Amino acid sequence: MNGNAILLLPMIFPILAGFIIGFQKEEKQRNTLVFIAMALETALVWFLCMGDYTLEAYRFTERLTIAYHTDGLAKLFACLISTIWLLAAVFAMEYMKHEHKPARFFMFYTFSIGALMSLCFAQNMMTLYLSYEFMTILTVPLVIHTGTPEAVRAGMKYLGYSIFGAGLGLLGFFFLNTYCETTTFIAGGTLNMTMVNGRENMMLVVFFLMAVGFGCKAGMFPLHAWLPTAHPVAPSPASAVLSGIITKGGVIAIIRVTYYLFGADFLRGTWAQYAVLTLAVITIFMGSMLAYKEKLLKKRLAYSTVSNVSYVVFGLMLLSPVGFMGALLQVVFHAIAKNILFLCAGAIIYKTGKTFVYEYKGLGKEMPIVMWTFAFASLSLIGIPPTSGFVSKWYLAQGGLAPEIGALGMTGVVILMVSALLTAGYLLPIVTDAFFPGKDYDYGSLKKKEPNLLMTVPLVLLSVAVVLFGIMPTPLTEIITNISGMIF
Amino acid sequence: MNAFATLLPVIFPIIAGIALLPVKFKSRKQREMWVLSIVVLNAVFALYAIFGAGSPYVTLFTFNSKLSLALHVDGLSKVFGTMVSILWIITTIYAFEYMTHEGHEDRFFAFFIMTFGVVIGIAFAANFLTLYLFYEFLTLATLPLVMHQFDNKARHAGKTYVIYMMFGASLAFIGFVFIYCFGTTTDFVMGGVLNRNLVAGNEDVLRLVFVMAFFGFGVKAAVFPFWRWLPKASVAPTPVTALLHAVAVVKSGVFAIIRLIYYSFGTSFLIGTWAQNVVLIAAAITIVFGSTVALRTPHVKRRFAYSTVSNLSYIVFGVALMTPAGLGAGLLHMVYHAVIKITLFFTAGAILYKTHREYLYEMEGFGRLMPITFATMTIAGLGLIGVPPFAGFHSKWALATAAVNSGNPVAYIGIGALIISALLTALYIFYIVVRAYFPREKTYPEGYYDHVSDPNKYMTVPLVLLAIVSVIIGIFPEPLINFLNNVALGIL
Repeated sequence: MNGNAILLLPMIFPILAGFIIGFQKEEKQRNTLVFIAMALETALVWFLCMGDYTLEAYRFTERLTIAYHTDGLAKLFACLISTIWLLAAVFAMEYMKHEHKPARFFMFYTFSIGALMSLCFAQNMMTLYLSYEFMTILTVPLVIHTGTPEAVRAGMKYLGYSIFGAGLGLLGFFFLNTYCETTTFIAGGTLNMTMVNGRENMMLVVFFLMAVGFGCKAGMFPLHAWLPTAHPVAPSPASAVLSGIITKGGVIAIIRVTYYLFGADFLRGTWAQYAVLTLAVITIFMGSMLAYKEKLLKKRLAYSTVSNVSYVVFGLMLLSPVGFMGALLQVVFHAIAKNILFLCAGAIIYKTGKTFVYEYKGLGKEMPIVMWTFAFASLSLIGIPPTSGFVSKWYLAQGGLAPEIGALGMTGVVILMVSALLTAGYLLPIVTDAFFPGKDYDYGSLKKKEPNLLMTVPLVLLSVAVVLFGIMPTPLTEIITNISGMIF
Repeated sequence: MNAFATLLPVIFPIIAGIALLPVKFKSRKQREMWVLSIVVLNAVFALYAIFGAGSPYVTLFTFNSKLSLALHVDGLSKVFGTMVSILWIITTIYAFEYMTHEGHEDRFFAFFIMTFGVVIGIAFAANFLTLYLFYEFLTLATLPLVMHQFDNKARHAGKTYVIYMMFGASLAFIGFVFIYCFGTTTDFVMGGVLNRNLVAGNEDVLRLVFVMAFFGFGVKAAVFPFWRWLPKASVAPTPVTALLHAVAVVKSGVFAIIRLIYYSFGTSFLIGTWAQNVVLIAAAITIVFGSTVALRTPHVKRRFAYSTVSNLSYIVFGVALMTPAGLGAGLLHMVYHAVIKITLFFTAGAILYKTHREYLYEMEGFGRLMPITFATMTIAGLGLIGVPPFAGFHSKWALATAAVNSGNPVAYIGIGALIISALLTALYIFYIVVRAYFPREKTYPEGYYDHVSDPNKYMTVPLVLLAIVSVIIGIFPEPLINFLNNVALGIL
């Protein structure tokens, strides 16, 4: 152990807390504990992100160490993730009343944040890979929580795809271990150019495989198929964080590999860059299209995630500061908006049991707060100002239109626009149906179904964030400029 | 004196086992005491021979200048001998409880003890003839264990077992003859013993012979296409499947392959040739094939047997890289896999012993009722997949790094196989675990959960011990890695 041991706390604490929570039979007591644990965790992470900490926690062998560091990227992701995790936990306290075995759910929910923090703060490839595997394994019980055969199948599919994706990442790691100076993340890349010399193409293949592998978690084509199966079967708070947060685990890995190991300069203008860009563009279009055709709301949202997270990959693969800015903004905004949408879907299921989009007529009158937040999140996802989604789209489009990317960037931007249109097509009708059920709607049957504060408060807070970031993106863009200043 | 110390762990259990054959013990307690003391005593002898007695070269009998029976402890013997000795004790304790439901324990333990000596004989063999001799003995000594139940299934399995083993040994014998003719000696010397003057002009013939001998020894190591006996042999009592078919027998095959490549033909003669590529590809095919079939097998013990098929070829793959790093990685996986797979078989055995259930769909919902069994299965499973920091990650890491560094494009295929196999491993292990913790049905027919509980301490203590060992060697891999790398470099 070498460095600031305090940096180990955000990983260890949730593991300990999770065990305690897992054995609480009494609901009130458990909920209090969950809240305290999550709040403490969030406070701890925010506190750590104020400072600069480094820790070499453990050394397996010469090249394999567990090491953590709070660099700019880690701070951004860690703060975002821990905060949303806290809000979704509050929502889950109410939601899990109608599911069985809530203690087990909260136990794994608490464990998972430990793995995620480990992933955010990871300073080298070994730590990243370790956290990545644990993130998968600890979230599988969330997916199969309901225990139905369908859920178990979905869970196994999730597990299989994730392990295979991580395996491709590991494959790259084997090569990088030989062809990099070090597998510690260093802004700008660590490739050993004298060794790589003459083997550029092999290294590009390796990069491509790693991007596809880690892209699996981000729902990128061709390893996307698990996502629309696994996300909807989980209890809604879990779907929310799986879709909003866990997919970003793949994004972190891709950023680390692209900018901190290979380095943007090595990849710029190569076939590997264009190949991954193409995959991202395909995914964007395909996801939106499938979402448009889907009638089950949670599944529709899952397809939407497939599409939206590939916006991020698209931005990252532009390998320009503007694209990077757009990508990271999209990470934040999509995480917030998609959490709202899934939590709304959860609130609707919890109160009315309705799951199909055509059943939602008049819901706006029955649960106005829920549907209003749904509307805001939809606007953000489509990218209509003044909601935050507009800002990220703006940068993404600007990056895509940069002359050096050429026709592919242009196509990407066109697809972005088409996808925005499709997004409007699959989200707005739900909102309009909910608020304007039509003339022949029986208003007499309306009942007040607004859920209680445990559910509405997280929703409202997240919606405020959606709008606030849209109006005042400057603090966030400054942080991201600082990060990208290091790597370009 | 030191010569005798080397001989003792080979001879003592064989004699003791034969002496036990006619004995009818009065009570279980008495038998357990005798068997355990013999096994522990012999493990002590073996460890003393390995670490205490220096490394004398003991010639037992000389036929001619090139043929003799001789024992010798070198680095490779140390690795194999130590591993076997420690695991034999744990398995014996487990077997005491388990065998109460199989019956005929007197006969079982007599052969079980004999096999210990034979395996140590393989580990200590100093030349090809001695290795070959003990290799054949191993087949004969384990046959009664495989056929233990003597029903039709067991008899059929035994027949398959013998046919495969004899066929493999005969192929290996061809290799032996050629080493005898073209080598300067039949002793095992790091770097190989081929006489370059004699070899000149006959390279391709010799490489062909190498490939034949490789597949010959590969029968015991269940290399594709000679894997079929192993899943069949899982009809044997669980301690046998666990120890013999996950550790002793199959790893004797791997051990013999190492002797063949590194100590007889020599890596410099084979590296970069078509012979190496054939061997690498065979290993890569077996890796994926074993895992694929494991995933499709609902019978838990057979599923683990197929998993063994796959994992043995991880070792063979490392060995076939023909670099010191590759050999070190292969040996590392040999140790890790031994610990992990024994744990897995023991968990399957615990379930079988308590409930007589053999298929994974009959074990749904057992997770909570057999907490120790399934916790250890999960830990071992994570190791088998290669999730850091559990055991199994480091060996996979070492294997792949060695493959990358070898620079051989055929070896890259093997890396791909490792990755695909990791995926399949995750599925076939977690399918059992997930089903156990998340049963498909809310209620099961009456009697479904009868007798479902953790077995007594004879079975759980070995399980927990093994799980702890697997975690420890995963978290502190460095001493082991350094030791094995020294072995691979021929320093030890």
